Amino acid sequence: MPLEPKHYMKFLDNEAEAKDKSELLDLLDNRVRILCFDECERDRIVCTLTPLCSRRFLLRLRIKNNLTIEDLPQFCYSVHKGVIERYFRNKTVIYRPYDAYLYLIDFIDVYFHGDYRKLNKFISFKNWVEAKEIFDDRINNRNENFKYLITENYFFFKFEDKIHIIFLEEGYVLCNANRENIVDLEMLHGLCKLYAGIYFPEVNLRSLGSKHVEIIVKIPYDVLTKVRSEATETNDSKADHYFWNTFWEDLNALTQYCDEIHLQMDTNQNLEIALSLSLLTSNYSEDKKRVPLRFRDLRLILNFITRIYTDYYIIWV
Amino acid sequence: MEENEKDLIEINSIKEFVKDSRIDDAVKLIALYLNDSTEENYIDRLENIIELLLSLHGGRIVLRFLIENLVIDVPSLLENLSKKDSVLRYTFLLLLKTICENECDLFLPYSEDLLNSDDPNVREADLQLLIYMAGGDNTIDNESLIRTISLKLTDDKDFVVQKAIQTLKAIGEKSPSTVTKILTEYVKENSQISNNEELKKSVDGIIKSFVTIEKIEEIVEATEEKKDIDLEKEESEIIDKELELKKKELEIKKKKLELVEKEKILEEKTIKEKEKVLKLKEELLEEETKLSKEEILVAKVPIKKIPKKLKKEVIEIRDKEFELQKKDLEIKKKKLELEEKEKELEEREIIEKEKTLKVKEELIEKEQELSQVELEIKKKIIEQKELKILKEEAKRVDEQMKELIEKEKDDDET
Repeated sequence: MPLEPKHYMKFLDNEAEAKDKSELLDLLDNRVRILCFDECERDRIVCTLTPLCSRRFLLRLRIKNNLTIEDLPQFCYSVHKGVIERYFRNKTVIYRPYDAYLYLIDFIDVYFHGDYRKLNKFISFKNWVEAKEIFDDRINNRNENFKYLITENYFFFKFEDKIHIIFLEEGYVLCNANRENIVDLEMLHGLCKLYAGIYFPEVNLRSLGSKHVEIIVKIPYDVLTKVRSEATETNDSKADHYFWNTFWEDLNALTQYCDEIHLQMDTNQNLEIALSLSLLTSNYSEDKKRVPLRFRDLRLILNFITRIYTDYYIIWV
Repeated sequence: MEENEKDLIEINSIKEFVKDSRIDDAVKLIALYLNDSTEENYIDRLENIIELLLSLHGGRIVLRFLIENLVIDVPSLLENLSKKDSVLRYTFLLLLKTICENECDLFLPYSEDLLNSDDPNVREADLQLLIYMAGGDNTIDNESLIRTISLKLTDDKDFVVQKAIQTLKAIGEKSPSTVTKILTEYVKENSQISNNEELKKSVDGIIKSFVTIEKIEEIVEATEEKKDIDLEKEESEIIDKELELKKKELEIKKKKLELVEKEKILEEKTIKEKEKVLKLKEELLEEETKLSKEEILVAKVPIKKIPKKLKKEVIEIRDKEFELQKKDLEIKKKKLELEEKEKELEEREIIEKEKTLKVKEELIEKEQELSQVELEIKKKIIEQKELKILKEEAKRVDEQMKELIEKEKDDDET
């Protein structure tokens, strides 16, 4: 039986001899270097159309580990930036650049081309007043459709349904966040706040200690009373259809991603749905560890809240 | 915004035409759309069309029609694509793959010129198209083109070199002997360049990629044939050169003979002229003698009897004689002047030589004086040294004497 990836993982986890581990990692490092700088970049058409690592994840590995642009395969990075730009401009791309990392200056160059020098300076020096002026001018006077939110360590942008996050300390940006894990509670809370500001401003959002974010959405009593008490084959209203067919499925799906879901009636007989979110989902991986919460998981939760809010809360208000 | 909307409407109508298989109409509309563009938005419009064709099912057919009808000109297309991002450039090249494989006549005429483009992206794109062409049913054996591709093995840009290697490998699959011959020649020609080792490696890799046991025979046969052809060529060249040399020799002989003939003719002419002059002189002398006799007679015979014509002739002859004498005198004068000038020049030269000699003499005298002074100084130094030595000797003798006296005193005391 030949060696399998899991054997390497096991070896790296359990082997006591540091020298052996180091040798194995050197072999891996050497292979990766040859792959990127020689085999892949040698033919620029291959590097552009069929890169030798899937979706250029080796670039992500380098950028996330704070390597500078000089340490990156230059042509590969230029194509990567080009792909993100094309995707942003709704042009044909070979793959969708989800979870793509860019250096701050390149991100600004792609998304805010005209102001990239100023913005790079303002964001690098955390001069938020001047930066906000530029963003607001773009939104109000140049018909650009995006929202933003600044927290202590992150700068969130939402272009249509795409989320981009600037890591202020690290100086890089996660573009089109999707399968990446949500790093910390500040990020989780920031994203919920950004969405809340756009889609459900009257929903109760708060941090619970250092591990949880709670979102409470209400279904008013008046709406609930209009829902039939029993299921019928022909659900007349939209509410009937939703609450008898889809609502429980949604809740069931959300239990995978939320730590807790509470349903309770408040003093006015409104139904309160309290979702408690943490950085870990309720799913378990093969090694029996809880799977971290990803951006796409959070999007499902936020979509659910948006639906309840727009379909049953706003109408009632 | 308005322009974008207009663009969108036109793009949508093109899309509809292609979907309805109205290819000719689509091509006409694209032609109008591109012709309507300005310098600023031409590339954007071209990109819109390429984007559209990339996404449509019948896009390739439309593209072929566009190239065939020269709506899109291949060289300018590649140059324009070079200004765009690599994703669009390479995706578009991929779109051209099947057209290149099946109809390489559309692209092959431009290939050699495009390989010499200043833009490395254009060179690379052209090489990629050649790879596609070689991948089809076509055999590329144009020696000039293969030679131009070989030149790209030493291109400034590494990605062009890599693409050239791939291209030669692809072409070598069907034309191994031609590629092998051209590459070996190219390596020999470049044996003195600095990165020759790299070039050799590249060529080695290329040739190894397509040489198989079956193809070796073909290559060897081809090279032997070529050797024979080369020998024949060399022989014919030598014969041609010999013939040329013989021709030239004959021409030279002809010219020599002609020159001799001309010289002879000239000599004859001069002799004839001399004879004429002599005759004239004789006639003149005769006339002079006649005249002198006649003059005597004139003294006796009245002047009226001398014919007027003769008088005139006599006067003219005398005038000519005077003129000739004058000219002779002038020539003599000039000769004398020249001689004087020459003498003056000689005198000047002599004076200058004398001056330099004097300077040299002075220099030699000074040198002698200097050497005498040096000798005197040396003498003085030696004398001083002798004095020093003598003084030291005297001192030493005195000291020894004192010591001896003291010793004697001590002995006496004891």
